[in-house]
Amino acid sequence: MIQIDGLRKTYDSLVAVDGVSFDVHDGEVVGLLGPNGAGKTTMINMICGVLQPDGGRVLVDNRDIWLEPKKVKQDLGVVPQEISVYEDLNARDNLSFWGSLYGLSGSDLTDRIDESLSRVGLAERAGDKVKTFSGGMKRRLNLCMGLIHQPKFLLLDEPTVGIDPQARLNILDVIQEVAQAGTTVLYTTHYMDEAEQLCDRIAIIDHGRVLALGTLAELTTTAGEAEVLRLSGDFSSQPSREGLHTISGVRVLRSDDTSAVLAIDPEGPGLLAVLPEVLEGDLTVDDVSIQRPNLQSVFIALTGRELRD
Amino acid sequence: MAVLAILRRDLNRYRRNPVRTALLFSMPLVMAGIFAIVFGGGGVDQVSIRILLWDEDDSLLSTLAEGAAGSSKADGQLDLVPVGTEGPAMMDRGEASALVHIPAGFTDDFLSGTPTVIDIVKNPSQRFLPQVVEEGAGVGAAVLSAASRSFRDELTQVKSMVDGQGFPTDLAVATLGSGMNNRFQTLESVLFPPVIGFETVTLTDESAEEDSRGILAYFLPGLAVMGVFFLAQSATRDILRDRESGLLRHLLTAPVSPADYLAGKCLSALMVSSLGLSLLILIGVASGVSWGPPVAVSLLALATAVAASGTLLLIMSLVGSERQGDALTTIVIIGWSMLGGAFVPISQMPDFLKPISASTMVYWATDAFNTLALHDGGLGDIIFNISVLFGVGLAFLAGGAFILGLRIRRGAV
Repeated sequence: MIQIDGLRKTYDSLVAVDGVSFDVHDGEVVGLLGPNGAGKTTMINMICGVLQPDGGRVLVDNRDIWLEPKKVKQDLGVVPQEISVYEDLNARDNLSFWGSLYGLSGSDLTDRIDESLSRVGLAERAGDKVKTFSGGMKRRLNLCMGLIHQPKFLLLDEPTVGIDPQARLNILDVIQEVAQAGTTVLYTTHYMDEAEQLCDRIAIIDHGRVLALGTLAELTTTAGEAEVLRLSGDFSSQPSREGLHTISGVRVLRSDDTSAVLAIDPEGPGLLAVLPEVLEGDLTVDDVSIQRPNLQSVFIALTGRELRD
Repeated sequence: MAVLAILRRDLNRYRRNPVRTALLFSMPLVMAGIFAIVFGGGGVDQVSIRILLWDEDDSLLSTLAEGAAGSSKADGQLDLVPVGTEGPAMMDRGEASALVHIPAGFTDDFLSGTPTVIDIVKNPSQRFLPQVVEEGAGVGAAVLSAASRSFRDELTQVKSMVDGQGFPTDLAVATLGSGMNNRFQTLESVLFPPVIGFETVTLTDESAEEDSRGILAYFLPGLAVMGVFFLAQSATRDILRDRESGLLRHLLTAPVSPADYLAGKCLSALMVSSLGLSLLILIGVASGVSWGPPVAVSLLALATAVAASGTLLLIMSLVGSERQGDALTTIVIIGWSMLGGAFVPISQMPDFLKPISASTMVYWATDAFNTLALHDGGLGDIIFNISVLFGVGLAFLAGGAFILGLRIRRGAV
């Protein structure tokens, strides 16, 4: 189990991680979902022992990563956001080097390299220099480097950023396989579909804090939102915008001159009762869309803004 | 374990990039070769000076010059081409280094003591050869002027004989001979024996070969030292590259401590520097350079590798990016090489530069290699140099590793 307790990191006046605490249980896949700059990478760097926190601690199987770094890191596999491979070496050389750092050698190492490369579809390019690879191939090799020693815990920091859909699917498949084999996974992403597809539990992160943590069902429930109503049109009139706040059964999450986002209270009269009241007001509504409860609506409900913001 | 894995990976990268590695290792050798050719004189064809001689006077002077050009002493270095009025056009086409124009009536004017002029037209596209012709003509003019003044009476008699009809009388010839003899007797104390003599010595092929080896021995040690610093630059540059690309951060997620990583990189820099220097020493030996006692040379090579690795690691630990590191280390290496005697002997430098030279690692290494290779020195003669190189090198290594370790721990990776 990975236990994260009161983790904190500041850069001058910027609080990058603000007292984060949560656990990742054995065999579980936990996703850290948040926009760019939310503090996900800083958290991962502190959890894997690269960045020393200003406060808090990280226990991996009850061992403090800063007190017993080598022992703990032996059980960790990390796939960073940057593609960190040696481009002037071939794929096999890269994996051989990486495996040797974990004490693998001889036929054991060779077998692991062959198995890893086959798993991500790079077996035929094993002897080619990495600089001849596409971005997606480099990402897949990057993933192999985190898996070569068959770690007990796998930390992935946005491993699918900037690659083609096919390579992305391959990476997600491999992660699912690894998770099903019992590896404990901590996965950061800003893609909601990835978090929904892969993760047993999801932590919603923003401004260095965990806003909510739970299964998808728990999150939608605890956020207290059923549906999100998005309106676009002419909302430049301040009184009419303020009128939205008087409608019972909705909560205004955000409004400006051209749009408004409302959360429908699941305990209230419901969408069908609320919608006519919204449209009968002084607002000029050009378009209406209804979003069923999902991570996006939860994120909006928690932060008042879109995840992509 | 991790230290050796990092070392193996670095050496593997040199193996996987043979062209880059060959270029890196051969750079000091190529420079030494160029220096040997330029300063040793071997391998360069002799330069021939082509002069157009336009003699409108059909004078004795041009006949003498043509004879001189055809003599064995000229050995093909002087190509004197008699021309007529086409001479200036040939110069316009750049067909010779210079055109020497002897005007009509030159001999008469010379014999009668009338001032006269020899024109020289130089080829503007050539820099040195026309200058040689001009200097040579200047010397010739000075000699002729001195003769004109010293033998004025006799030359006047010669002119009257030349101008007269038929052969001169026996009395006239006897008078001229007697006068010349008296003049020589008067000038004897000035002319004989010559105050300054010269002797030309042509080296045999064997001695020329010895000289060529000497030139290589003269340049190779300094340039080898510079080459070692460049090799260390290449090895330590990876630290900045690893840092900027995120590789270092990734490495530290494995069971690799900052100390492991830095030890691996230091070892790698040392290994590459030592290998490079050993290769240069072996090539030097094959080319006839005698480096000195093997034990002393080996110790000195190791000390130089330590000094180079330490210096470069320290600089790399202080800069913010690979680009900064490249610029700064190149300036330091070239500056130290120039000041430290890798290019120019310290003895040729101005006095105020000599103490500055001694503050560079290149000086201590080059000085020691020169002591062994050129002055038949032994280990005892260079033990102080070795101590300085080891001492300062290790201090720099420790300092660089400490600063980098600190930066890594603070998260600047």
